[in-house]
Amino acid sequence: MGTSKISNGRSIAEINQKIKSGDVQVLTVEEMKKLVESSGVEVAYKEVDVVTTGTFGAMCSSGAIINLGHADPPIKIQRAWLNDVEVSHPGAAVDLYIGAAQMSNTQPFEYGGGHVIEDLIAGKEVEVRATSYGTDCYPRTKLDTTITKDDLNQFYLLNFRNCYQRYVCATNSRDEMIYTYMGKLLPRFRNATYSGAGELNPLMNDPDYETIGIGTRIFLGGGQGYVLGEGTQHDPTNRFGTLMVRGDCKQMSPEFIRGGAFTQYGTSLYIGIGIPIPILNEGLAKKTALRDEEILTDIVDYGVPRRSRPKLGKVSYATLKSGEVTINDRKIKVSSLSSLKTARKISETLKSWIENGTFYLSSPAESLPTDSVCNPMRQSDSVTFVSSVAHKAVTCRVNEDIQAVAQRIISKSVNHVVVTDSSGAVKGMVTSWDVTRAVAEGKSKLVDIITKKVFTTKPEETLEEASRKMAQHHISALPVVDHDKNVVGLITSEDLSKLRGR
Amino acid sequence: MDRILLRFSEENVAEPITSQVILELGIPMRIVTATVNSLGGDILVEVPAVHVEKVIKAFRAKGVVVRFPKLIEVDSDKCFDCGACFALCPVDAIAYDKEYSVVFDEKTCIGSPCGLCVDACPARAIKLVEQHRNNRK
Repeated sequence: MGTSKISNGRSIAEINQKIKSGDVQVLTVEEMKKLVESSGVEVAYKEVDVVTTGTFGAMCSSGAIINLGHADPPIKIQRAWLNDVEVSHPGAAVDLYIGAAQMSNTQPFEYGGGHVIEDLIAGKEVEVRATSYGTDCYPRTKLDTTITKDDLNQFYLLNFRNCYQRYVCATNSRDEMIYTYMGKLLPRFRNATYSGAGELNPLMNDPDYETIGIGTRIFLGGGQGYVLGEGTQHDPTNRFGTLMVRGDCKQMSPEFIRGGAFTQYGTSLYIGIGIPIPILNEGLAKKTALRDEEILTDIVDYGVPRRSRPKLGKVSYATLKSGEVTINDRKIKVSSLSSLKTARKISETLKSWIENGTFYLSSPAESLPTDSVCNPMRQSDSVTFVSSVAHKAVTCRVNEDIQAVAQRIISKSVNHVVVTDSSGAVKGMVTSWDVTRAVAEGKSKLVDIITKKVFTTKPEETLEEASRKMAQHHISALPVVDHDKNVVGLITSEDLSKLRGR
Repeated sequence: MDRILLRFSEENVAEPITSQVILELGIPMRIVTATVNSLGGDILVEVPAVHVEKVIKAFRAKGVVVRFPKLIEVDSDKCFDCGACFALCPVDAIAYDKEYSVVFDEKTCIGSPCGLCVDACPARAIKLVEQHRNNRK
């Protein structure tokens, strides 16, 4: 009788029955992959009821709903701060939403909403400050108190976009170091970062969302939570699925939920998510055997601050986890931004919960979309790029006379001359001011007056970016260079002010 | 090889003490990092383990403060083993072990002249142990 059931597939009800009787067979996703490798899909399907997954990474689109309870006299909160982090006030009087990415007024980039959530979960006292305009029914205009999680009526994690199926590998082509949400990226492709648990990731092991949907019970931050549906920017056809989730923070543990600080970018929340995949059919047994070698992602140049960043190649999670990737024929080290150790621990913890009968599987009320697309923003304002403002650069060579350069400045009526080498690459800048100074100080060689450290821009950079560079370095012009670093134009602060005056 | 940190003061920094010690003892030393100016500073050197006692004695005799340096402190309660620091380390002092724990090799780390990992840590678990009181900034 058992065999006929197996050929028709397993049901979640049957699995829950086995959990109740203590007969359930659970493997972590890593154990499942080994079993399929050694004994094949058929055996794995027959023997295994549930496979547990896990991921632990920075998930910025997260936050928590809290209800403070009413004060006396009552207040209809208009603005509120928890440990100096401003919270949003989406509903009535004392309901607040703490966004993970919201930063503290006093310690921006170091402490934010994610840290407030972690502190509350850890049982710490948090300061609440609130203001309001006062009404007949809610007369109070100011509030100053401290709370712990035990004082809250509701304290629920409510995350719009979590658990990305996979993510890209980031690197940086620029000449300067940049700080991004993908971490610190050294200049000229000297390092790379990636995120995601690869073969441990929940959605990767059920890529057609056969078992994950609205109402799926999950491991969330050390407690039991639920999938509310697909997350924002869910992009299933490109294998960039996401989840919207909810869970009771009062059950959670700081081991699986942590505030995070990204220098010069902002704050976030590291969240642990584990999803049990019921092995309902042989196809799911096969899907949960997917290996890191088969999960590919793009290497992306975060040095180009555009929506479509240049892709430099493909890489597997197996390579990423080895700690070394090849970019432009050079081997560089690659860092994980999510914790594989914690991801593994989550899959093990969820396995033990199911084995101990403290976690039952749920049938989703509705499946996740498998064909929706993630569209770019409709923009009615136009963004100007360097290419549309740049004009031809007046150039000279290092070995020219100052006299000749001075004449060129007059005849072309410009203030900036770009010094290039024979191939057209930037070697320096000379301004009319430099020439004046040379006359005043009696200098005759061009090489003595040129500025050798030159900041440049690219045609595809936005004007905003270019003007930020000029202001930051106190300069009045930027040579525009192509990818081979050859001069293709110049933009000056005059160009920018003309544009503003328009 | 053992690492020792030589701290020079404003009073003795002008003298060629390091070369004197090398010449007198005939023991080769590798300078790992050096941050020195007219107010003093630190030199981190590697010397063969068998000679380390002799070298320390010689430097101390010339008024140099010698310590076995602790260059970096990692708060293991805060660290959640992501490894954001890993690829930034220029001397390969950070690695993943088999369990994907992030491990720091304090003997290889060069400390505050580098410090690339410190502000890349999302858990803020890494701290440099201040070495260069005299001449930073």
